[in-house]
Amino acid sequence: MNLLEITSITAGYQEGIDILNGISLQVQPGSVTIIIGPNGAGKSTLLKTIYGFLKPRLGQIHFGGQDITSNLPHEIKHLGLSYIPQEFNIFPQLRVEENLMMGAWIFRRDKARVQQQLEHTYGIFPALYKFRKARANTLSGGQLRMLSIAKEVMTSPSLMLVDEPSAGLAPKIAAEAYEFLMQTRQALGAAILMVDHNMETALSLADYVYVVDMGRVRVYGPKAEFDVERIKGIIQECLMGA
Amino acid sequence: MNVTPELFLNFLIAGIMIGALYALMAMGITFIYSIMKMINWAMGEFYMIGSYAQWFLVSFFFGSAFWFLGVLATAVILFLVGLVVQWLLIRPMFSTGMERKDEYGTVVTIALALFLRNLATVLSGPNTRSPDIDLGRIMIGGLPVSGNRFAAFLGALIIIGLFYYLLNYTWLGRAFRAGSQNRVGIQTVGINVLRIDQIAFAIGVTLAGLAGALLAPVFNVFPENGAVTTMKGFEIIIIGGMGSLPGAALGGLLLGIVESLGSVFIDTGLRNVYGFIFLIIVLLIKPTGLFGEKERLS
Repeated sequence: MNLLEITSITAGYQEGIDILNGISLQVQPGSVTIIIGPNGAGKSTLLKTIYGFLKPRLGQIHFGGQDITSNLPHEIKHLGLSYIPQEFNIFPQLRVEENLMMGAWIFRRDKARVQQQLEHTYGIFPALYKFRKARANTLSGGQLRMLSIAKEVMTSPSLMLVDEPSAGLAPKIAAEAYEFLMQTRQALGAAILMVDHNMETALSLADYVYVVDMGRVRVYGPKAEFDVERIKGIIQECLMGA
Repeated sequence: MNVTPELFLNFLIAGIMIGALYALMAMGITFIYSIMKMINWAMGEFYMIGSYAQWFLVSFFFGSAFWFLGVLATAVILFLVGLVVQWLLIRPMFSTGMERKDEYGTVVTIALALFLRNLATVLSGPNTRSPDIDLGRIMIGGLPVSGNRFAAFLGALIIIGLFYYLLNYTWLGRAFRAGSQNRVGIQTVGINVLRIDQIAFAIGVTLAGLAGALLAPVFNVFPENGAVTTMKGFEIIIIGGMGSLPGAALGGLLLGIVESLGSVFIDTGLRNVYGFIFLIIVLLIKPTGLFGEKERLS
């Protein structure tokens, strides 16, 4: 059974202007699925729609067999989904440990579990333990990305929606960001649905690839069917309007 | 006027005392602003409701001996009123994802202020009232201080202390602080942002109402008594820095002291002008206010 099943989703930010035009997509449990496409294709909008920030006008979204099309973000979080936006998704003036604890909000009353998850997260990201008393706004770009991911690890999600993990980062820090994601996947066995511009790296991590354009899936398939040159060719066709 | 050290100290103490109450009001405004990114222009009217509630409860229920029960009951009433008002008037614009929420918030809360002020006039008449509370005089370091003022000051300190505890040592407080820094972030961790807004609004107006209740025996209770208080609240949050709670606390104390000392050294009649002069001086030296930041992260 698919972990996430998106069927013919149509959505947009303003009435009459749809960004997603009947897009369909599936994510297998434990897999890494990447979404690639030209700017304005609707990649980030798709993630926002899945996580409930944007209400689809048409179509359905099922997660773990449950219909989440009309759910709000805080309800979706309870189901085992996490969302890591493009920007550093942290609370800059809270301490690192407070940021991680906020990640455990949905089971905050279970003190033992919060503590256990904190230790688990520090186990995956030992560097954060050293900075646990520091305010988040004193961390470097790479550490902030690590914290953004680690905060989501607190709930041990079964699917992580990741939007441009390397956006705005220097190449060395971007490489670290991918490493953090893969560490997380390994530790949790979580599936990842990732939007990315960094084709080479994304492709090297992926199990499945979707190329989207104008809010629709243009081509999709297992990673074996794709290489960077083919994807570049498809995107070029998209940009030429073919 | 011959200003003796005793007189100076006396006015300084009076300034600090009233400053703590100003701080309470300003913290309410700042708290709502920092979470919801909108200004509640009706804060003075919640102060007014708090002062009327205290007058009513002391006069008809608890009596002057149990005035503090009136303050507690006022807190409960204001919190419930805040929940309902937010749900009816403010929540719709946040739940429908409309743009320019702050402008809508401005219009709605100004209209609410006018409505509440007129409702108070209709229900209670334009006359001034005052709860029958007389705590006499107490001596601080050999100086006589009004018992009512001192009780209001102590009450404000206790409330500020509880508010500080809530913000820094509870999950809800951490959610408020997180929400003020990253509104999307709190939704991604599973917090119902609309509920956080509602509770924050209710707490903010409760702080204003408590300032009104504590000051009810010090200043008169009348339908317009929130208007000046609102202006002072805004002066304070600009002095302290928009969105900064420590700034609101310090700004309140400083405004109280400046007004009090200005009354001694210059002219009592210009009491409300000193705050604005102080505000201009602060902005000339530090345009973002004492604790303000040029730009917040996230």
